[in-house]
Amino acid sequence: MPIIGIESSAHTFGVGIVENGRILSNEKSVYPIGNSGMIPIKVAEFHKKSADEVILRSLERADVRLKDISGIGYTMGPGIGPCLKVGMSKAKAMANELNVDIVPLNHGMAHVEIAKRLSNMRDPLALYVSGGNSQILKLDSERRHYLVLGETFDIGVGNMLDSFARKMGLDPAWGSSVAKTATGGRYIKLPYTVKGMDFAFAGLMTKAVELSERNSKKDVSFSLQETAFAMLCEATERALLLTKSREFCVCGGVAQSERLRVMLGSVAKEHKIKFGAAPNEFNADNGAMIALLAERVLKRGYGVKVEDCDYMQRYRINDVEYLAD
Amino acid sequence: MRLLSQGAEAEIYTIRFIGNKVAAKVRGRKKYRVEELDTELREGRTRREARCMERAHRAGVPVPRLVACSRFTLYFEILEGVVLKDLESIPEGVPREIGRVLAKLHDAGMIHGDFTTANLMLAENGLNIIDFGLSEITKSVEGRAIDLLLIKRSLGKGYPSLEQSYVKSCSEGDVVVSKLKEIEKRGRYQIRTIT
Repeated sequence: MPIIGIESSAHTFGVGIVENGRILSNEKSVYPIGNSGMIPIKVAEFHKKSADEVILRSLERADVRLKDISGIGYTMGPGIGPCLKVGMSKAKAMANELNVDIVPLNHGMAHVEIAKRLSNMRDPLALYVSGGNSQILKLDSERRHYLVLGETFDIGVGNMLDSFARKMGLDPAWGSSVAKTATGGRYIKLPYTVKGMDFAFAGLMTKAVELSERNSKKDVSFSLQETAFAMLCEATERALLLTKSREFCVCGGVAQSERLRVMLGSVAKEHKIKFGAAPNEFNADNGAMIALLAERVLKRGYGVKVEDCDYMQRYRINDVEYLAD
Repeated sequence: MRLLSQGAEAEIYTIRFIGNKVAAKVRGRKKYRVEELDTELREGRTRREARCMERAHRAGVPVPRLVACSRFTLYFEILEGVVLKDLESIPEGVPREIGRVLAKLHDAGMIHGDFTTANLMLAENGLNIIDFGLSEITKSVEGRAIDLLLIKRSLGKGYPSLEQSYVKSCSEGDVVVSKLKEIEKRGRYQIRTIT
């Protein structure tokens, strides 16, 4: 029986359909960020307009009829309040109409879950890197909760790259443009901040912007990306050895970066640890990851009443019980 | 030459050095980072660690003696002993001694950065502090409080004599302990420290 997942925590309104762990469809509409970043209310308006169309597209691609959907999952948080609310409202309306189970889910947990499933891992250490989040995660020994072993002291690495792209006037203003600009650049020294398994990015970006007045965009983009990713690699390497992990995956929007995956792969290889990531369409925010996690959680009977559904802007992964297996 | 331990940042070997058996801590090349950054980090950290070990020694903190230092490698004497982490129970008098040596270290204008039972060794000459890989020369009260927090957490509950002897021996002990209380209230550290 197919399960539908709705994701709307930030710029992406995503709808995925999953059946028995197989992804049948993964459709999305993405708010055009332009050079003003995300204005919450505008993004929410955009999602409201495209929601029905994306749901229909996802059903068609999966070749599933709406009335055959047997369960619904949606992103409860963390994310941008007005955006989360749009996804939740759609999910609740659908649950009422179809009279099926519904479950609110943690966004980060869904990111890790899909990376784990698609790279055939059971209990990996996970580096979760996106716009708003940058965390090193591992399930505790009883596999009931995620532990945050390390994380950013200030902003997420994706947010840092996006803001930098905007300040440099790159188009489109996000991380992949920084990567493109960085090709063939030269290294310039930038602040490097790793404290144990934690790291910080705000100072790095400020300095990079400052240096861009005297250096080429190419060199600064290159150095910014190399420094930020090296910080993530060092913190992750420490966590891998500390937890004696044998498997390791990267997930979240920034996991789309080819360069980051190459660097992390090199860390894993050095310690003979298995490394993996999901294909890129499942690293960016997407509905399939929500559907995948929802199916596992619903199968174990953890659906909730529609009237008890809510959303939360701040919803830390280590505060959530892990119910997927 | 024998590999003694493999860390995230460095490998420690036992080697013969001008006739003596010493430990060599090598910060090897990390292929994932660009060469300039890699060199800069490894060189800077090796130098900083050497400086911290020397400063601690000069202040009378028991540490392994540094024998030599090259670009990416530290050579220091091998201590025969057991780290507190591997002991069934903490011998009497040791918590007080921990407080005393930590106070001495802080008064020398530095912090350890990873002050846990894994980095305290009971040897013939008494309690030694080892692994200065994350040490810094700084008078930061927060840094000092975190040293204290880490050792309290890794020892587990009890051992009030540690804090007492720290306050008694350290010139700014009171300030550090009140900072520690503040940090403990932040709570985050409770969830995130794995032991």
